[in-house]
Amino acid sequence: MSSRDEILNKLRDNLSRYDLRFPPENPLPLPPDARMEVTHAEGDRWALARRFGAELRKLHGSYDLLETAAEARLATIAQLMTWMEEDRAQRRTKEREQESDWDVLMWDPEVLPIPGLAPSLTDIGFHMIIPDDLHDKAVRERIHPIRAGLTGVDAAFASTGSMLLTSGPGKSRAASLTPLRHLALIPLSKLYSTIEEWMAKARKQGELTRLLRDNANAVLITGPSKSADIEMNLTLGVHGPQVVHAILFDDLESLIQNRS
Amino acid sequence: MPVDIHAPYKERVRQSLDEPFLQMAVERSTTRMVAARHAAMTAVDGEKLRNQARQMKEYVLRHLPDLLEQLEANLKANGGIVHWAKDAEEANRIVREIALQNGVRKVVKSKSMATEEIHLNKALEETDIQVVETDLGEYIIQLANEPPSHILAPVIHKRVEDISELFHEKLDIPRTLEPEALCTAARYALRREFLSADMGISGCNFAIAETGTICIVTNEGNGRMVSSMPRVYVAVMGIEKLVPTVEDAMLQLQVLCRSATGQAFSVYCSMTSGPRRPGHPDGPEQFHVVLLDNGRTRMLAEGYGEALLCLRCGACLNICPVYRSIGGHAYGSTYSGPIGAVITPLLADRKKQFKELPHASTLCGACRDVCPVKIDLPRLLVDLRADLVDENAAPLGEQLGIKAFVKAASTRENFERAGKFASISTNFMANMSGGNIHFLPPPLSGWTQSRDFPAFARISFREWWQERMALRQRD
Repeated sequence: MSSRDEILNKLRDNLSRYDLRFPPENPLPLPPDARMEVTHAEGDRWALARRFGAELRKLHGSYDLLETAAEARLATIAQLMTWMEEDRAQRRTKEREQESDWDVLMWDPEVLPIPGLAPSLTDIGFHMIIPDDLHDKAVRERIHPIRAGLTGVDAAFASTGSMLLTSGPGKSRAASLTPLRHLALIPLSKLYSTIEEWMAKARKQGELTRLLRDNANAVLITGPSKSADIEMNLTLGVHGPQVVHAILFDDLESLIQNRS
Repeated sequence: MPVDIHAPYKERVRQSLDEPFLQMAVERSTTRMVAARHAAMTAVDGEKLRNQARQMKEYVLRHLPDLLEQLEANLKANGGIVHWAKDAEEANRIVREIALQNGVRKVVKSKSMATEEIHLNKALEETDIQVVETDLGEYIIQLANEPPSHILAPVIHKRVEDISELFHEKLDIPRTLEPEALCTAARYALRREFLSADMGISGCNFAIAETGTICIVTNEGNGRMVSSMPRVYVAVMGIEKLVPTVEDAMLQLQVLCRSATGQAFSVYCSMTSGPRRPGHPDGPEQFHVVLLDNGRTRMLAEGYGEALLCLRCGACLNICPVYRSIGGHAYGSTYSGPIGAVITPLLADRKKQFKELPHASTLCGACRDVCPVKIDLPRLLVDLRADLVDENAAPLGEQLGIKAFVKAASTRENFERAGKFASISTNFMANMSGGNIHFLPPPLSGWTQSRDFPAFARISFREWWQERMALRQRD
């Protein structure tokens, strides 16, 4: 008998014993409407955005909240430039003379929620490394020193400052993982009060299980990478990003325009 | 001096108690973790959360075979490869074969109790495969060649000076007492390992049956690295670690994080449902899941199924007065604290080898009160003690003592005679030492080695009662 059948048979034999001390005979599954919402957030989309930002700040992250996608585009460029300047200031003079392009490891501009980002980034002199580039082994091997990552999100949750990102065509896992800093673009149409609210909606639309199965990988991110292993001291940026910055913006108008 | 985990139990405990820094570090970190847990569980309806988590896990255990088959079918449909392992040896053989078939020379690992339990690192290293632990704490103790001392904080027994010296020696960096500088050094050293590794190995915090998804919870991000960077990814999971639905997974994630570290969510929960698909920019080419029994079905059969609800949060360790005094190494096994005292003898099917562990508890019940799935740990410990008596594994002194008590308590005459003897002899000894008794002869000397023994009352309750009734009747 295979180990598989042996294990399953043993389990079935024992679970059918009337004298088994544990588990109880007929434990009920949790009914969907009795499930608790563990944390709670309320208010209109602006209130939720501010709550998301406040929660992220508590975790040593930061955020901007903007009214339109156009403003968010400028804020994104400004943020990346600030980081680039920080890096260049740190480098020694000699290295600065032979300044190379500053790399951004990012999702495909096509899947980012802000239109027109790619030409602006290229104009300023950022070098974009997009998911398609990663099929080349040589590129894959040099992404580790890149210090900025730029992604969108699949959903974000205000009550805990968390973001859900799936990976797939145009969306690399590396962009939110290997750089020292992660910039996440969050349109308010993807912001939910809690993870439970999002799950209920996705379940109703039949998308909850599909989202996990079709994408091979999903990650729930809540703040920058951290550890307390060394004498319980908080240290940020152990393996993942040390800095997480979210740019939240209202996309309601553009959604309405697209529909009409 | 690190504690020798292969020494006998009493020797390990003595060594632990003789380590002043260990005492302080364990006290400091457990106090902080207890406070963090308490704050997080009281900030929400913690009682309801624990009840729901328990109800969900009881359902899982009752339907375990069906859920395992569902998980297997979905993992396969997603392109994953599923293996079943009866015991540690089989699990190690499976992982070793995957490694050999893929020409793997280096493995990066994220922290996993299941792989510690089966001593996977040793098995791989014997085949000349290099294994690199990537959790910062695990990395440190791997460099130092020591076992972990806490489920969550494996390196609480080391001070920053020790780590600085270790990194200076092994990574060739300047000595520094800045935790951030040490962390940065580890980040860069481990990046090289992630880049050059052929295979990633993790445990599994929980698997979702309805989607075929393996979830890894980390704060550092190494769980994401090992499951995304190398071309082969292997997850080793205990067969009890699964949940039926996505909603159940998020419930368990939240109760686990609140209970373990006091967070609402860990920084990362990485959910893998299969290998990279065509057109995906990154992710492993192969995805293997090893479903590990290693004593779990036996635990269920022997009536200890409740221990299979455990989420491995570590809350029972932090609150336990015994763990806080002796630390993790004194337990001499992968799992320490109250849950370790229960599952170590059962998983290994070596109750007698670990016969002291069920006694490493005062049965105060604090562990049951903090458990996120309300496991009745004190009852399980008492049951284990009873099993050991049934198997004649109790210490000789205890067996003789119980036999003597049975004899004394079998008739009223015997009981009164024994009481009289105890009263006269203990009062005699107490008079000799002027108060309490400081020394008893073997086999009772174990008691007086660390505390005094009070003398019995001079007259028995019956005698007192009879005297009193006689006085009343006279009035």
